[in-house]
Amino acid sequence: MQREVVPYLLTLTGVAGIAGLTSAFLPVLGLASCALLFLLPVLYGATRGGLGPGLLAALAGAGAYNFFLLPPRFTFRVHQLDNLVGVFVLVAVALVTSRLATLLMTREAEAVERARASSEEAELSAVLSAGPAPAALATGIDWIERRHGSVRLLAEGAVPNTDAAFSSLDLSAAAWAQHNGDVTGHGTAVMAAADWTFLPLAPKSRRAGHVAALARPADGRVRGPAEMDHLARLAFLLGQCRDRQALEAARHERERLEAADHLRRTFLASLAHDFRTPLTVITGRLALLAQDSPEAHDALGAARLLDRMMTDLVEAARIEAGSLAPVIDAVDLVDAAGAALDAVGISPGIRVRRSIPADLPFVAADPVMLHHVLVNLIDNALRHATGSVDLTARQVDGMVMVRVIDDGPGIAQAERARVFARFVQLEGSDRVRGSGLGLAIVKGFVDAMGMTIRIDDNPPGGSCFVLTMPLAPESGG
Amino acid sequence: MSRILCVDDEPAILRLLGVVLAADGHEAVAVADAKAAMAALNRGGIDAVLVDLGLPDRDGLELIAAIRTMATVPIIVVSARGEVEEKVAALDLGAADYVTKPFDGAELRARLRAALRQGRGADAGGELRHGPFRIAPDRHEAEVSGRIVALTPKEYALLQALVEAGGRVLTHAALLERVWGKAHRENVEYLRVAVRSLRLKVEADPSQPALIRNEPGIGYRLA
Repeated sequence: MQREVVPYLLTLTGVAGIAGLTSAFLPVLGLASCALLFLLPVLYGATRGGLGPGLLAALAGAGAYNFFLLPPRFTFRVHQLDNLVGVFVLVAVALVTSRLATLLMTREAEAVERARASSEEAELSAVLSAGPAPAALATGIDWIERRHGSVRLLAEGAVPNTDAAFSSLDLSAAAWAQHNGDVTGHGTAVMAAADWTFLPLAPKSRRAGHVAALARPADGRVRGPAEMDHLARLAFLLGQCRDRQALEAARHERERLEAADHLRRTFLASLAHDFRTPLTVITGRLALLAQDSPEAHDALGAARLLDRMMTDLVEAARIEAGSLAPVIDAVDLVDAAGAALDAVGISPGIRVRRSIPADLPFVAADPVMLHHVLVNLIDNALRHATGSVDLTARQVDGMVMVRVIDDGPGIAQAERARVFARFVQLEGSDRVRGSGLGLAIVKGFVDAMGMTIRIDDNPPGGSCFVLTMPLAPESGG
Repeated sequence: MSRILCVDDEPAILRLLGVVLAADGHEAVAVADAKAAMAALNRGGIDAVLVDLGLPDRDGLELIAAIRTMATVPIIVVSARGEVEEKVAALDLGAADYVTKPFDGAELRARLRAALRQGRGADAGGELRHGPFRIAPDRHEAEVSGRIVALTPKEYALLQALVEAGGRVLTHAALLERVWGKAHRENVEYLRVAVRSLRLKVEADPSQPALIRNEPGIGYRLA
């Protein structure tokens, strides 16, 4: 209040001073110069206090000019018309001057405010970009709180109806801001009666849904449009930092998963390595002994089974970890079947019949995974067969179907879905040794390569595994 | 009859290799790391190297590359690492062949025999033989079990590469580079098509090939 009166008093003092000065020196200065001197307090009042003091100075100056200087002096009467015109001109000039001065002052004040706002934005931007995002965001919020009052961040869709600081009107304003991306609440056109102002963290076009709540000014004033624009820009800066935080968090999570996956793969590889070194010594020594000893021969068989189980476990773990990355290539099934039959040890007394046309089109498969699939299927068939195993392939409707058929006990319809699960050994197959993982690995690899596997009826008895795979795309080779 | 340098950090494996190699009359020179391996090679008198890829002081692949810069002795990888990419990398670095632990003694000796034959170079006369195959490069002629077969230039070049390797595995990339040129190292399908047409001419039953064998993801070798 006191600050508003001071410019008026100073202006009046100025008018009084000029009146004293001019009435003393009128004969020396002349009327016209004295009238000009009365413009000085008008300029002072208008630039210091705005339109009000400027107007007061203009009216008081005109009055004093009339009273002290115009003849008859020391009365408010005016005898000559030109003297009356002089008073009116003084009032008009004083009014225009004070209006212009006020306008200039307002412009300057706006420019100063804009400069302050942009330096504040630059400062906040520097605060938010320093260091890791979560810490920078906290520092940034703290920074705004010190300058503009309490701040809370409201995440998308999470209106804090348990927070006592927010009235129901505040909550409505918050929901509006989150939903529409407008600045709402105190100091705006939308729900102006609210206690908080809600500033979206992203421009309306992005509709991020996150909002910063800013408490109303403690001194009870209402924030103007320029200040509100400034605060909205500060909120966008907070939003950018929050986005950076989300990106950093996603990157950290990805790095953590990659590291875990790498560790798992390294662990599996070293586990397999550590197992195979002693197994090599065992199988190597037993192979030398087995030449003369049936007992050593049995032990050699057991050691080889152990090796297979180890391989199965590592492969099952790779499937489990989801770390299979098939490299699909054009594969000749004649090659694949030959390599698979070379790899499995064929027991004496079992006949393996192979029927794969030499002109069968190439299939699209990962050669190494397909090899494991065929080895496991043939191995499974050999372990259940009583006299023969058939391996056939033919082209059907743009696909290639591979069948692995044995003449063993077969798999009942009800059990067929279950055999591809891990550690499943069907009843009555106790004598047939395996890791219980072979067919689960087949299923895992087949899925990874985009093929299908099923068990079909086999009228003569025994089981019939059907592997369906796509043809390799034709190329100009 | 040959001195074989065995590089493995597991003493029990080194002793086993000694016994397996002795069955063919070879002498095993056992070392536990890459540094000792290089020292033994520098002393000379080594005819072939068996190397494990997981060595304590240096990666086995690096050792293969280092040996290749100083000597032409055949190298066979004996590794527990099952990864196909690693085997291919070792072969492309110049290893002659590989066996995977736990290995079969007879298989190891057969691979070693093939590698040693290769190490000694082609015999005089310019004629190449392996199994039922006979190739006379000067006449551009190939024989299978005494029967002359007519081959296209690509099939001939492919068969020649396989016979020269004498039972060693050749990677897809090595075969493609040799027959089609460096620009086609990746075109495995060219190779599969050529192998198929070659089999039609040389195998008794092309749908059950017994002579040209495939190593999934790695390459081809002659039986």
